[in-house]
Amino acid sequence: MKTELSYSEAFMQLEGLLEQLEDGDIQLDDLAEKVKQANELILICENKLRSISSEINKALAPNLPNDKS
Amino acid sequence: MTQQIKLSQLVEQIQETIQERFEGRVYLAATQITNVKKYPSNRRCYLTLEEHDHGEKKAELKAVFWSNSYNTIEDFEKATGQLFTSGLQIICKVKVRFHKVYGLNVDVLEIDIAHTLGSIELEKQKTLERLLTENPTTIQLFDGAYSTINNRLPLPLIVNSIALITAPNSDGQRDFQQEISKNKHGYQFTVREFLTTIQGDNAHKLILQQLQLIQQSGEHFNAVAIVRGGGSATDFKPFDEYGLAKYVAHFPIPIYTGIGHDRNQTIVDQMAREQKTPTKVAALFIDHNFEFENRLMKLKTNFFNAVAAQIDNAKNHLNHAKRLVKLASPQAILNRGFAIVTINNKIVTNPDVIKENMELQTMLRNQIIHSTVTKKEENENGIEL
Repeated sequence: MKTELSYSEAFMQLEGLLEQLEDGDIQLDDLAEKVKQANELILICENKLRSISSEINKALAPNLPNDKS
Repeated sequence: MTQQIKLSQLVEQIQETIQERFEGRVYLAATQITNVKKYPSNRRCYLTLEEHDHGEKKAELKAVFWSNSYNTIEDFEKATGQLFTSGLQIICKVKVRFHKVYGLNVDVLEIDIAHTLGSIELEKQKTLERLLTENPTTIQLFDGAYSTINNRLPLPLIVNSIALITAPNSDGQRDFQQEISKNKHGYQFTVREFLTTIQGDNAHKLILQQLQLIQQSGEHFNAVAIVRGGGSATDFKPFDEYGLAKYVAHFPIPIYTGIGHDRNQTIVDQMAREQKTPTKVAALFIDHNFEFENRLMKLKTNFFNAVAAQIDNAKNHLNHAKRLVKLASPQAILNRGFAIVTINNKIVTNPDVIKENMELQTMLRNQIIHSTVTKKEENENGIEL
């Protein structure tokens, strides 16, 4: 799993995996592997989202609505 | 030989003759007025009535408004927006009077205000027509409103640099500056004053000079305010003058007028943007900036909301994915009491592949049951969970 994936790339891969999981007809070994991959992708997405949120908050901090400064 | 008489006797005879001829008669005289000297505290006005023909003086008489007719001057100024001053052409009712010491005089009883109003209006119409005729591409009339280069100019989003044309120490100057400096939003304006007399015969030239100075100053002004007022509601003649009106119409910075005239518009008002009073002009600039600030605040709020919505959306998608993955995990399936049926280590999702006597494995939460199929039948009713 590449860690340098962007949020969008990671999320697209996650969606692909979810489709496969929902479809059923999958080897048991594969199922466990797919779930593992999905969890890794979820972790990447969560970390990316957290860092994006934090960057946005930092960028907008001086202009937050109702900020009189 | 001519008989010698005293001067007083001669004057008396003249007086008698004049009285005999003019006593009790009132005349309606069309005349130009000059040397107008008003004494409001005594309610008297002394002036000269003159008639000219092609530059040549044809007649002249001293005239007086006494206290009982002085109010006609005030009525005249109020109704016409025109100072009762030298140079005016008027029609007035007069009575001839001869005084032994002061000589021949006329008492002015009444001014024909309607005539002056008509003359002023006629003059204004002529000037407006001339403005349209001589400047067809830059001054136009649409639905009764004049569209000029100046009043078509957009006002910048923020107004903070204003050129103010007004009379020094006037009410107009004070009202405008007070409104600007005490605005409740705390906006900072730079107001550069261009002070001049804005009443009287030469006022139009002086105002025009100030406009030229504004252009030559090299300073960047967002708008020009021409204000006067507070006190007298008279003498709007300079604002109906062709040269000033034309200059205003073509001026490259938006001009706002607040010249204290609520009876009707002057021509300069029509060539620029009229706000009636100095306070209203100042308030317009403040409101204009407030409107921009409001738009900015709305944009800012919308932007913040959009960003927050994007993040929330992403979080929701991710949470949904997490739930799906969790549900799909084999261990989660088994933990919920379901079993996974496999044949040769492959999950069976299609029961058609299972035949009688076939060996299969049933995977439970912590055990695997190996079994052989002895019977197989359709599950027609399904399972209600």
